[in-house]
Amino acid sequence: MARERISQADEWQAWAQRYDIEGGIRTFESGLTVKVFVGALFVGLLMMPGSIYLSYVSGQSGAEAAPWVAVILFTELARRSFTTARRQELYMLLGLTGAAVGSGMQYRNFIWYAYFVNTPQAASYEIADKIPAWIVPAGDSVGVLTRSLLHPDWFLPIAIYLAGKLLGTLRFVSGQYILFRLTADLERLPYPMAPISAQGATALAETTGKEETWRWQVFSIGSMAGLIWGFLYIGVPSLTGVMMSQPIEILKIPWIDFTQSIEGFAPTGVFAFRTDFGQMLIGFVMPFPIIMTEFLTAMASQFILNPQILYRYDILYQWTPGLDVRGAGLFNGLDFWISYGMGKSFSLALVGMAASIPMLFKLRKSQKRAGERGSFATPPNRGDFPIWLMGAMWLIGMAGFVWLIHWMVPNFPLSFLLGYAFLYTPINSYITARTFGVLGRDLFEIPYLHEITFILSRYEEIDIWFAPLPDEDYGRGTQSWRVLELTGTTFTSNLAGTLLIMPILLVSGIVVLHFIWQIAPIPSAQYPFAQMMWPINATNECLWKTSLRDGNSQMLQAIRGDYVAAGFTSSLAIYGMLWVFKLPSMWYYGIIGGIGADPGGMMTRLLGAVIGRFYMIKRFGMRRWYMFNPVLAAGFACGVGLIGMGTVAIALVSRAVIVKPF
Amino acid sequence: MEKLASLIIILGSGLWLFSIIALEARWQWQMLSALVLTIGIFWAHFWEELRDTDEESEDSNDE
Repeated sequence: MARERISQADEWQAWAQRYDIEGGIRTFESGLTVKVFVGALFVGLLMMPGSIYLSYVSGQSGAEAAPWVAVILFTELARRSFTTARRQELYMLLGLTGAAVGSGMQYRNFIWYAYFVNTPQAASYEIADKIPAWIVPAGDSVGVLTRSLLHPDWFLPIAIYLAGKLLGTLRFVSGQYILFRLTADLERLPYPMAPISAQGATALAETTGKEETWRWQVFSIGSMAGLIWGFLYIGVPSLTGVMMSQPIEILKIPWIDFTQSIEGFAPTGVFAFRTDFGQMLIGFVMPFPIIMTEFLTAMASQFILNPQILYRYDILYQWTPGLDVRGAGLFNGLDFWISYGMGKSFSLALVGMAASIPMLFKLRKSQKRAGERGSFATPPNRGDFPIWLMGAMWLIGMAGFVWLIHWMVPNFPLSFLLGYAFLYTPINSYITARTFGVLGRDLFEIPYLHEITFILSRYEEIDIWFAPLPDEDYGRGTQSWRVLELTGTTFTSNLAGTLLIMPILLVSGIVVLHFIWQIAPIPSAQYPFAQMMWPINATNECLWKTSLRDGNSQMLQAIRGDYVAAGFTSSLAIYGMLWVFKLPSMWYYGIIGGIGADPGGMMTRLLGAVIGRFYMIKRFGMRRWYMFNPVLAAGFACGVGLIGMGTVAIALVSRAVIVKPF
Repeated sequence: MEKLASLIIILGSGLWLFSIIALEARWQWQMLSALVLTIGIFWAHFWEELRDTDEESEDSNDE
């Protein structure tokens, strides 16, 4: 029997509809109340120092859990006060707490460049003295040497950052809003992934009502699983690390490396089993065809392609027996996979264009014929803004941003900046907004855009690498406006909350980071993750920033045209053949993700996908299982996050205690 | 139209395989295959999307 041809848009929409269990509500209320604002500020600022500290100690900030902690505290307080929490309030609380807890990390580049400017790598690559003063003060300045962000030396970088932040807020709010009105109101695109984001707040809002539903039960199961897993995986090593010189790891973090065990029959193959079983939750949610094809392709890459073809034909020539996953991965990357991966990225961009450009024509044409065309008329009480006002805001924000960049790098051709700002950004954002509206994901992304720009501009100064470029994408953010609509939160209340909290966060973020920097140099023994990773990152940054300075850089030597072409063309051929044989386009994304990757990193995700597909769906039914999924994942994140924050608090207290030798 | 798109894609894939096996994987030949494949993929998607529209409109007219 002939297989029926299904377009990529239909395929992804069909999958996304599994999550869409309710059409959203159409009555709008403000989510911004005094208790929400104070609650978000309290929890966010309380957790912010811990989050910054954890990111330097372990590399993971745990910030994603803070909003859930705030929401649970809020709902429990509401319940004990015999009041109810509305879903609009909870959704607003999630957003504001997330912004508050992440506010310290917005300045992390200052600490990084204060370290980078004095590294031997920056000196040996001859860029230390060429780093612009609007990024970091000179390496021998008092502000850097005394580790003080409040010193006048930092005035220029902080002022530039704040100006950029203000202009960025103008551009992103207005740009996203205009595109949302265009794609959601006028073109009636469904935004299939938005209901997932709306589920968490809905689930918890119900807990303060008189009747509890399945959501609270599922959320509780997820939270308990997260608590247990978080305690075993994060809690035990962190707590024993405080008390002992060598922490106890029940499961080795982050992986168990089998690379040396397989080298006898699969030389150059890598296999490191990732021990984070939290990945199973991703396996529950992600489309099964993608996970399966990704895993099978990764297995074929490491057990057939690498050892039997690439190694045999001396393409992977730097590998030697005894290398672990990091060593083998590095050499395989330099020999072949970095180049192949670049080609793969270009094919993804091209396939995205091929899929999305015809979509621009299709829906418009079909709606016109069927008489279903939407309008710019807005639902009542949604809290909309005049389009002209948003347009003016965007123009002011973008013009100011272009002027600022031109002031920072006056010799860089202005035509490139104007082209990016007023041509590339609107087109790129519109295409992304459409692909998010139809598929719930981004398809259109041009890889290595900055590098290509720098080559074409023939600009050779190093300062351009430190400057931002106005190549922006507002399309991705349009989905959050759709989530606001689904949760029934007025747009004005969301914007008011964001603008009210911003000045407080801008000040508190820099003060907290200043004090954390004062505790000890970053990196140092106090911050083991930074101490391990930052020197490697400094080398990588030097390699990239000098890659176009002359024709003989290490990075350029690793990139080979025939391997890039192989990555590009083989990926296109795979996509084309899948289309010819009417196979799902999801297979393409799985194959492209899996080719050259380590299958050990996918095992737990695969386990989740298999359990979901062959047990859970049979046990609960497809519809119920996909209703449970997002709520279960939110509960799990909450449980793990609570454990993370608890252990950080204990670690911070232990660091503050001075042990005397008598 | 569908058969033409399929033919172009098969031709591009065949040319790429040939360039790998017989032409020392030279990037020029590979990029030529990529060009053929790109034409085939764009053709396929335009046909696919616009075909659906036509059929839908016919259906709605029938109703």
